[in-house]
This record gives sequence, structure tokens and C-alpha cells, in this order.
Amino acid sequence: MKVSMNWLKEMVDIGDDYKLLETKFNLMSQEVESLYKLIDIDNLVIGHVKTCDKHPEADKLSVTTVDVGDEVLQIICGAPNIAEGQKVIVSKVGACLPGDFKIKKSKIRGIESNGMICSLEELGIKEFDSEETGIYVLGDDAETGQDPLKYLHLDDYVLDLDLTANRSDLLSMEGVAYDVACMLDKEYKPVQHQYETRREENTIKVFTDTKDCLAYYGQVIDNVKLGQSPYWLKSRLIAAGIRPISNVVDITNYVMLQYGQPLHAFDYDKIRTDRILVRHAKEDETLITLDGQTRKLLASDIVITDGKYPIALAGVMGGKETEVGEGTTKILLESAFFDPLCVRKTSKRLDLKSESSSRFEKGIDPGKIKKAMDFASELFIKLAGGEVVGEYSFFDTTQKEPSAVVLSLERLNQVTGREFTVGEVKSILKRLNFDNHVSGSDVFRIDVPTRRQNMFGYQDIIEEIVRISGYDKIPLTIPATPTFGYLTKTQQLRRTVRNYFVNNGFNETISYSLVNETQAIEFDQEKLSIVEIMNPLNKEKSILRHSLIPSLLDILQYNKSRKISDVFLFEIGRSYREEKEVEYLSGLITGVYQSNLWQGKKEIADFYLLKGIIEGMLLRLHIENYRIVKAEKPLSMMHPGMVADVFIGEEYLGYLGKLHPQKEMDMNLDKTFIFEFNFEILSSAYNDDLVMVEIPKFPSVSRDLAIIVDKDLTAEKIIDEVKLAGKKTLKNVEIFDIYSGQGIASDKKSIALSLTLQNVEKTLETKEVDTVVERIIKQLENTINAKLR
Amino acid sequence: MEKKLNKLIEDMLSRLDGISNLNDLNLLKAEYLGKKSVFNDLMQELKEVPKEEKPRFGQMINEAKNRISDFLEEKKTALEKQLVANKLKDESIDVTLPGRKMNQGSKHLISQVIEEVEDIFLGLGYTVKEGPEVESDLYNFEMLNLPKDHPARDMQDSLYISEERLLRTHTSPVQVRSLLENTNQEPLKIICPGKVYRKDDDDQTHSHQFTQIEALVVDGKASLADLKGTLLFIAKKLFGDEREIRLRPSFFPFTEPSVEVDVSCYKCGGAGCSMCGNTGWIEILGAGMVNNNVLSAAGYDPEKFQGFALGMGVERIAILKYGIDDIRAFYTNDLRFNKQFRGK
Ligand SMILES: [Zn+2]
Repeated sequence: MKVSMNWLKEMVDIGDDYKLLETKFNLMSQEVESLYKLIDIDNLVIGHVKTCDKHPEADKLSVTTVDVGDEVLQIICGAPNIAEGQKVIVSKVGACLPGDFKIKKSKIRGIESNGMICSLEELGIKEFDSEETGIYVLGDDAETGQDPLKYLHLDDYVLDLDLTANRSDLLSMEGVAYDVACMLDKEYKPVQHQYETRREENTIKVFTDTKDCLAYYGQVIDNVKLGQSPYWLKSRLIAAGIRPISNVVDITNYVMLQYGQPLHAFDYDKIRTDRILVRHAKEDETLITLDGQTRKLLASDIVITDGKYPIALAGVMGGKETEVGEGTTKILLESAFFDPLCVRKTSKRLDLKSESSSRFEKGIDPGKIKKAMDFASELFIKLAGGEVVGEYSFFDTTQKEPSAVVLSLERLNQVTGREFTVGEVKSILKRLNFDNHVSGSDVFRIDVPTRRQNMFGYQDIIEEIVRISGYDKIPLTIPATPTFGYLTKTQQLRRTVRNYFVNNGFNETISYSLVNETQAIEFDQEKLSIVEIMNPLNKEKSILRHSLIPSLLDILQYNKSRKISDVFLFEIGRSYREEKEVEYLSGLITGVYQSNLWQGKKEIADFYLLKGIIEGMLLRLHIENYRIVKAEKPLSMMHPGMVADVFIGEEYLGYLGKLHPQKEMDMNLDKTFIFEFNFEILSSAYNDDLVMVEIPKFPSVSRDLAIIVDKDLTAEKIIDEVKLAGKKTLKNVEIFDIYSGQGIASDKKSIALSLTLQNVEKTLETKEVDTVVERIIKQLENTINAKLR
Repeated sequence: MEKKLNKLIEDMLSRLDGISNLNDLNLLKAEYLGKKSVFNDLMQELKEVPKEEKPRFGQMINEAKNRISDFLEEKKTALEKQLVANKLKDESIDVTLPGRKMNQGSKHLISQVIEEVEDIFLGLGYTVKEGPEVESDLYNFEMLNLPKDHPARDMQDSLYISEERLLRTHTSPVQVRSLLENTNQEPLKIICPGKVYRKDDDDQTHSHQFTQIEALVVDGKASLADLKGTLLFIAKKLFGDEREIRLRPSFFPFTEPSVEVDVSCYKCGGAGCSMCGNTGWIEILGAGMVNNNVLSAAGYDPEKFQGFALGMGVERIAILKYGIDDIRAFYTNDLRFNKQFRGK
């Protein structure tokens, strides 16, 4: 809502400190979007054109001398309508017009020009006067040397309020006046409107067929002379951001701004009957609206009809057929109350948002329906020569009684945490203009006036009291109820895992959950149905992802194309299914992990680096019963020879491996290793229930063993057998060399194992060690056909 | 005998001269002082010496033995010193050559802010609650005092899965769920961090996906003053101890009264600068007293329960704290951005 200060001043004594008013609004009412001068141009003056001659060098230019009060200026003017004797707007040297157009002393075709005679458009005021062509000519009463903006009533400031949905009362100047008076502790006295009628029979009768029209007042005004509105009215409309059109339209808009009640004027003579019937539209009924469009109507729309055919879309837009225009002399003025929801639905469906519809949608004050019509009638008589025919026709079932709200001082103090007194509350309610009485010692019965449509209970009253008494007066305490703060196991784990990867040089990402159709399912393990957005922003963000990998690959691609080639990423995020959301832990690695080039050291991301990092994480989480095995059914996006499944116990955690070379090629990537785990399974396996294990008191013994086995035998199989035979004495087994080639048959490989043996109860004797190693060798020979090398 | 011993010592000394490493020294030591050393032979000879001479000769042998031992020890010390000196010389390096390059890990800035805010609230006795991102219209809107045709639904145009299911537009449905789960209606102090979605085209200041943290306190007496005190504490923790806050009236359907919370500008201290638009204040979050309709919808009697809620945009907090000028930076994951924020 754009509030004209000049207009407001007429209603409340606000003084001249608009900055202060802005602060008051911000702290006590609504956020101020901006406070600005309506026309922010200095050095404008009313000039009197003394002489006007043709420029000797240019046909279309005139050389004028203009009296601007304290001096006479020679100004070159290019407007065709310039003439001697006119009162005009002069931008003196030093003025700066919109578009950063600075007026300077200049020479035009050899003749000096000291300023500029302006059109309104050049001052940034469009359509102040629809008949304007060329420079703007002021009336003869304009005083030479004075401020033309003042003459035009454009010397105004505007406070632009950013209204919240609960303050529809501020969609009217009167509502603003009430609020301002309350904030400044001043008074606002509403005006009564009076006018004479011809005391004839009203020639039109209004009816309704729907309860969604709660009130309708129809006033017939005759002898209306269509023309322009006076400067003061136009200026106020311009300040409010509404374009002046003609006195008839301007009056309805002005009254709407004053009282928040939208009005509509029909050309009376174009209404074919003597009745107005409000009803819901019939399916497939049509109406040509003011903008010339043919609108197909629905039963949810409310229409104004002449008894048969629609002539306006209630609260949204008038009909073309009954439009006021050239030749209109008699109007039917409508002031009504339509159901907010109906208006909202219609305006939304037809994408017709207007000053009128937005007020109806938010709920207008039933107390202003008649008053607005009275005010408009008064103005039609005053400004358009109109004559009110007689008593208006109307029906009105709106609730005009204030609604009562009960609030005890005790409740107020308990909710706010501040100690208000009865006297204090009384004085605030008085400022708010809310009638009230106190019963008992401290129970207020408050009458909320109809102008405050969005107040429903005592909480709303508390809000009013607090904002007017000041939020700065509320004390600072914290809740006294004791509760315990803690993270759940899963929440703690998320942090642990994050820290683990960060400490290992990974960068955490957060990416969009919405992806395109391909990405959503590309890395699915099983066939899952997709979760699709009904009204997506675009195709690229239309489906909720199943896997985080495509997003991570996008991020990799983005960084690679910016010459960042060593990329280690992880992300914790959800996989969205039809029936549930599953949390995933995913990541990728590519490029150099650690290096020191001058030392010739460079560790490049490969499968085993990733595997080590993953095993490190499992160790960090005290998860021991995991297995990493060759993937049985690898994803088509993965390199089938370099992908492993991870199980914890019998549960499938996820996979790690190399991206399929084809996919790498398609995405212009190289040697990219990825993993994706079910974080929830990780979380349930996470073991933070630890018991100390005794540190062995007796020394351990190491033995190395080199064996030759079949080339495709897995390390896991060998280690399993060693462990089986090693029993309790075997503490650890590690592979420290793998060799194939010279000296080894082509279908064999040599594997070197390092065994660590230990007895927790005593020092191992050589004989015992030999026995265990012997047993291991036997086992390897028997089960996997190993030969000692 | 005496001559023999002198000769022995002389021989030893001359051999000692030629020794330049510890290994050779140990061999020499074994030769003279070991089990089968020359002294063994001398001890044999001692047996044949007349009885009265024995003590004198015995002493002579011992003395010789001790002298040899001393010489060896002396030599050993000298050799070790030499070895250390050599090491000092050989092992000196250019310490200005680069060290090994380790990847610089980083938590995402959003995670960092979430963890920071969580920690502040954990200290105040709050627990952390989570909920689904695909929500029902019921929890996301209706139970939060936003019935189907409420005009405020315009403010948050949403992404729908079906007529009844949508991507949550705020984390408030988690509050509703928590209220409902709390069947004994015990005092509730929770925060709800998480992803939320709006139907906004992504640009410098809008993101269709962003992150919220909401807090909710419901008990018999949590007041507006309690809210204000809590807000001041959070503002100081997040933006510095010198910060002040101010509340301005606002509107949210789920709270009444509702406020916007400003923090005094941390750049100019409140004097006014470009950061705060010359007001001295920066808007950081929204808050309010829980609307009775929300309490009632969740089965709490507004006559017995009251409380407050607050909600902040995680990206907004990060944008303010770190001077980020484009919200899309959080989701682009340009590593040159991510790696700048390595956390506390
Ligand atoms: Zn500042």
C-alpha cells in the first residue's frame, strides 16, 4: 500500500517527520518498503512565456523568453504546442530529470538555451493528463516563479508499506489513519458524507441468488459529465500507484483507496433491464470483460447480471458492454460485498489480479459498504456534475456488530512475560479505538470493530497490545522448564561420518533432490517407481532422486571443466521412494589423493584407495562383521570387473567401484571411483557399546610365508583359510606381496603372507609356532591347492 | 710376564688406531676381552707361577685387562661422536622444499551452520527432530492454521506430488509430528533442521531448495519474554557477543503474535552502513507465539499450553555471516567455494 503523506495529513496530525513515521511503522505495525518523494526533482519552477519566435536555423524549434519570477530566461523549445502567454513548467539549469538527464546551459544551433520547458512525461509522470501532447500547459492561475509540483499537488511523499496478510485494514487510507493515530497517540475522526438526491424513485432494483454476495448497494446517478479529475485527485491516485483515467473511474478508485471498498460504475443506459441480479455463473456462460477478452465462466464465479445475462465478473472486472465511456451520462454505482474465496478463485483462475479483487480477497469492512457509496455519490455531484436520482436499492446481510473477545490481564501477562496493568491495557485499547469493559478485577471484554477483519481471538488482541506498547518493553528471559538436550545415535553418527571423510580430505557436497528422469533411476539397484512432481519448475528438476551419484557426477563434471581434477566428494542425503525416504551416504574419488612431486610421490585414486577409506570408516564406527565381495549383479553404470558389494552381517550396505568406462567416456571423465551406502543400515550397525580389551602381556611372533596358488583365487579365500587353520593363536594375517611372471606358471601366482601369532596367556615357544604354521600350510595345501614356494 | 703384558697392550693400541667403525671395534673387544681372549692363555700361565708370586702377577693381569677395557671404551665414545657428527652433516636438508600435499577436506557450509545452530540449542536443552521431505498437505498446511484456501498459501507456491502430497515448504510439519508423537504432552523443546522446497526459479536470491531450522517450545508457560531471551542468546552466539536484537511485528499463520527478528549490524555495530541498508539492523529470522489453532489441531488445550516457535533460513545465516552474494553457490559445489570454508 502506497500511502500519500499529503492525504494522510488531512486525516491525522502526523507532522513533517516522515522518517519518524517510517520507524514507527517498522517497529509497531508493518514493514516500510520505502519512503520516497513522489517527484524527486529540484529546480522546477512555473514560467510565463513572454515571447515565442521561430528559431532562425531550425523550423521545428522555438526561441522563447520565459519569466520565472526572479529572472527571465531564454529557452529553446522543440514542442509544437508552445505559445506566447502560456504558463509552463521550467526545469532550470541544475535540474536533473529522470534518466539522469541533467539540464545544463547549452547552445542549440547557435542560440543559447538556459533550461528546458517540460512535458509531464519528461518529469516521469505518465498519463497525468491523457490529452497531453508536447509541453504541459498549466492554468492561468499558476503563479509565476512558484513550484509547479505544488500547483499540481505532486509535491508529496509516499510511504510504501509491505502489508502482511492479516492487515487488510491497511488497504485503505482510513485504516492507515486509524493505525497512525494509534501509533502516534493522536486522534482520527471519521467524516460523515452527505448529499442531496432528486428524491425520485430509484429505477433499478437489486437482488441476489447466491449467499456468496452478502451485500449490494445500487445507486443511480444521472447527468454525469465525463471529463478529467482535478489535479489533487489525480495526484493522489498517482501517489497510490493508480493511473488516472476519467473522473468517473477516478472517483471509484479514490473512494476505494479511502475506505478499502471497491466500487464499480456501469453505464446505466447500457443495462437492458431495470434489475440487477447477482448469481453464480452457469457453466459455459461467457462474458466479454473490460479488457476485450471473452471469458469462459464457471459455476464458482459470481456474476452481476441484468436478470438474464452477465454484465460483470463480481469483484474482479466489469463487462465491456456496460463500460463507462464517451457518451455516458447516467451510471449505476455498485458497492457490494462478495465472498473472498469466490473472488480469489476467479481472479486466480483468470489471472486477473486487480486493486479491487485483492481487497475483496482479503476481506473488506462491512461497515464501509454504504459509506463508500455515500462518499462516491458526494464526489460525483461535486466533481462530475452528477445528480443522485433517489434512494439506492440494496440488500445487506453482512455482520456489522463488533466481535467480542475476552482477555484477562493474567493471560496477557502469562503469554507476554511482562507485567501489564489494567490502566496500561485500557489506555492502549483506547488508542486502538477498541471499545471495552473490565469485569471482575482484570477481565477485559473487547469489541473488535469490523474494520479489523483478521482478528479472531485473544492472541490477536495480545499482538495489538504488544506492538503498540512496544516489543522493546518485553523482558529477556529463557524458558524455565528443564529439558535435556542431546543428539540421537543417528544424528551423532552423521557428524562422525562427516568428520571422518573431511579428515580424510573429502569435500562434502549438498545437491538438489530434484533431478531429471534419467538421473533419477540411472543408479538404481532394483526397479523402483519414481516420485514425480506434478507441477515441476522444469524437466531438469521434475523427479526426486533415487541415488545421489548422478548429482555427484554433475558436480565432478562442473569442477573438471574448471580445471579442478583432483576431486574427493561425499554427500549424505535422501533417496526418495514411493513409500519412504532412505538416507544414503555416497561419494566419489578421482585424481591425485596425496603427492609430493619433487620426491616422486603421487598417490592416485584407485579402487584400493577407496576400499581402504571405506574400511577405515567401518573401523572408525567399530563395525567388524563386514564383507567386501565381488559384486554379483553389478549396476550397468559400473565397471563389471571393478565393483564390490559391501555387506554388514547379512545386510547389504551398498557398493563401491569404478564407473563404467562407457559412462566415463560419455561424461568426459576418467578413472572415477564411486560408492553409495545405505546410511540407515550403517547407523543400525554402528557400535558405540565398547568394552576394554586387555592389551597382551606376552610378545607376538611373526612368520612370513610364500605360496603359489591358482591365478584367479581371491585374496579373501586365502585369508579365510589361513584364519580357519590359525585358530586363536593367529592374531593377524597380511598380504605383503603378489607376484606372477618369470618363474611362476602362467595360470598361477605367488602370494606372500605375513602371519602374526600370539598367545594371550604365555610366551609362545618355537615349537608351538611351528605347529601352527604347519597346520596353516596343510590347510592351504588341502583346500586351495597351494604350494609352498 | 710383565714384558708380555706390555707387549700385549702395545699391540692392542696399534690395532686400535686402525679401527674406524663400531663393528671392527666390537670384534677387537671380543678378541681381547671375550671368552677365548689372550687373557685366557695368561691365566693358564698363572697356574705355573710360584705361589708367592701369584697375587702380584694376578694383579698385573687385571690391571692390563682394565687398561685395555678403558682404551676400548674411549675409542668407542670417540667413534660414536664421529658417527653423530657425520649424521648431522649428511642428513641436513632444505626445509623450504614443499611438504606432501594433502587434500583439504571440508564440511559443506550448510552442514556447518546446522551443526553450529544445533549445538547452541542442545546447550539450551533442545533435542533435534527430523521428518519426511515429502509431506502431506495436512501436516504441511492444514494443521498449521493454513486451510486449503488460505491466501497465505499464495506466499509459498509449492511443488506437489499429488493433490494431497507435496515437498514440504518449511520444516514446520516436523513440529506438528513432534507435538502428536508427544502423547503424554510433556514439555517439548525441539529444533527441526532440514531441506525445504518452494516453487521458485533459481536466481541470485531464490532457490527452489533451501534449508531451514525451526525451533518449537511448548509447555505451560513459555512466554514471549522467553522467546525474546532465547533469540538474543542465539543472535549473540551466531553473530557475536556485542549483538543486540529487536523485534518487529509480522505475520505467520502458525504464530500469533508473529515477529521478524533483526540483529544489530555486525559490520557497523548499528551506526548504519551498506550491509544493513543504513538502518543498523539486519533481518535474520521470523518467530512468534504458537497460534492456538495449531495447538488445538495437535490436541493441546490452549488454556493449558502455550509456547513459541522460530524459524531461520540456514543459507541466509551463512550468506550474512560469510558475505556470500549468490544463494546458488551453496548448490553448485564449486570446490573453489566449498574449500574456502573448512569449519571451526
Ligand atoms: Zn551496518
